[in-house]
Amino acid sequence: MISAPVVADPVLMPDSEAGVRLLLDALPMGVVVLLPDGQERFRNTVAMSIAGARHADVLIEVAAERLLNVALRGFESREQIQLAGPPQRVLEVRAIPLADGGAIAIIDDVTDRWRIDQVRTDFVANVSHELKTPVGAISVLAETIEGESDDELVLRLTGRMVIEAQRMSRTIDELLELSRIELGGEMLLVDIDMADVAAEAIERVAPMAMRSGVPLNIDSKKGTSIVSGDFFQLVSAVKNLVENAVKYSDQTHQVDVRVLTTDTTVSVEVEDRGIGIPADSIDRIFERFYRVDRARNRATGGTGLGLSIVRHVATNHGGEVNVRSREGEGSTFILQIPRVLGPQ
Amino acid sequence: MVESLASIYLIGGIMDELRKGFHLQLDGVRTELVRLAASVIEAIPRATAVILNGDLEGADALIRFDDEIDSLSLELEERCYQILALQAPVAGDLRQVVSVVKMIAEIERSADLAVNICKAARRIYGHDLDPRLRGLIARMGEQAEQLWESALESFEENDAAKAAAIDDMDSYLDSLQREFVQAILECHSENSIDLQVAIQLAVVARFYERIGDHAVNIGDRVRYLVTGWLPEHKGAARFRQKSGEDDTDGIPFFPNKES
Repeated sequence: MISAPVVADPVLMPDSEAGVRLLLDALPMGVVVLLPDGQERFRNTVAMSIAGARHADVLIEVAAERLLNVALRGFESREQIQLAGPPQRVLEVRAIPLADGGAIAIIDDVTDRWRIDQVRTDFVANVSHELKTPVGAISVLAETIEGESDDELVLRLTGRMVIEAQRMSRTIDELLELSRIELGGEMLLVDIDMADVAAEAIERVAPMAMRSGVPLNIDSKKGTSIVSGDFFQLVSAVKNLVENAVKYSDQTHQVDVRVLTTDTTVSVEVEDRGIGIPADSIDRIFERFYRVDRARNRATGGTGLGLSIVRHVATNHGGEVNVRSREGEGSTFILQIPRVLGPQ
Repeated sequence: MVESLASIYLIGGIMDELRKGFHLQLDGVRTELVRLAASVIEAIPRATAVILNGDLEGADALIRFDDEIDSLSLELEERCYQILALQAPVAGDLRQVVSVVKMIAEIERSADLAVNICKAARRIYGHDLDPRLRGLIARMGEQAEQLWESALESFEENDAAKAAAIDDMDSYLDSLQREFVQAILECHSENSIDLQVAIQLAVVARFYERIGDHAVNIGDRVRYLVTGWLPEHKGAARFRQKSGEDDTDGIPFFPNKES
């Protein structure tokens, strides 16, 4: 029953010049071909506009030209170009000599690959830091207490031990929660009003907000913002967002929580007027254990897993989480979940 | 008769050939200028990252990179002088060459300013900056880069309208600078910033503002290139008008206060 392969339009046959051009134009990377005398023979569409910003185009052109000249002399070479952005971009230019004495350059956007590499190396370093630091602290504190007779000092040291142990158990709890959400197994999908979710989350954060003097505002209407989901997961996600907003806000700067609905989605927006997020970190804050603060200051008491949990909850519900932020002016996190069109 | 006609055609042909080489040279100079500008534009966000992240390695790299810019600038300037001396260009061609010489200086100076930002970053190394200040530094950096991106585009596309718009973009950068200085003063009164750091940061804001001004100058030059409009018409015209009134021709002098 297999029908005979349909013979393609002749222009698609790679033995015609036009066919080759068509194929090269379809490639997701830039291709530039030079004749043996250095004249340009062909350039595909991607190569004409690869870098986005004008000046970046020029820089890539310069690198491609340099490598092509090397290739015309018979040597293959490659070079990575990092563009500061933001957003940061990494492009790889490669030039290869051709059999007829000409040369070909391939320009490839390797930003994603480079980013994944970075995430992987950072993750290993960060996870070992987060897990080992409290253990190290506890064991050093215990050793000190062993040979100590001064009651007051022992009291102080045991106090520190309790704090470190609590931090450790919080990290482990969140890791377990994260892996449970990641597996997404035991989700109880029922119709849930996001207004209830927001109210519950705010109730849990309220004591902490009260302590730090940050006013919490909620703007929601019950009855219209229905989604299908797991109540506990959704509360945990919104709670994380509100908790962060409070943590990174100054006193007197209020935090607004809004539940908004469109025809197809329900979103919870959490807006603060706190310290904001640097532009070069915005892409990375949802990574596990990523911290904007390179010194990994522990003053805020976070585990570095909160936003990761939020993102997984969003994905489990077929939604997404986004952020708008300016450093020094505040951040707005938006958790968006598909809406269930039940009885109005 | 026939002979002289033929010789005219012959000379015409040679002239065309010569002009062709000349225009290739001119195009080459323009391309080089664009490349020089592109690498300086990339230096702006890099300098911003250096100061925001306290990246000393990045600072060193940019400072070294400036030597390369300096040497490329000199080389390109030399090429322009050769064209002037050997080709004696006129009209639009002369405007091109003269403008490129001027623009090289603007580009080279902007690279220096990016280096100055890096040096300031070294001096304030280890001091945490208030997030408000960090946000404004990022904005000034983005705006300065935008101005330059527009300047480069207007030059490449010979677009006088785009060039004229750079001036307006610059007022936003100026207002960011004022806002930044205000924020520094506020931080200082809250005691959240060292006086030394405050001074360095105020100077950094000035560097960004100057980088923007150089982009405006490029824009003015592009307008001159395309339309013959002289940037000096703003201030210089005012001066001429004034000096015409009191009928003093020649060297300007400072009026004596007592007179």
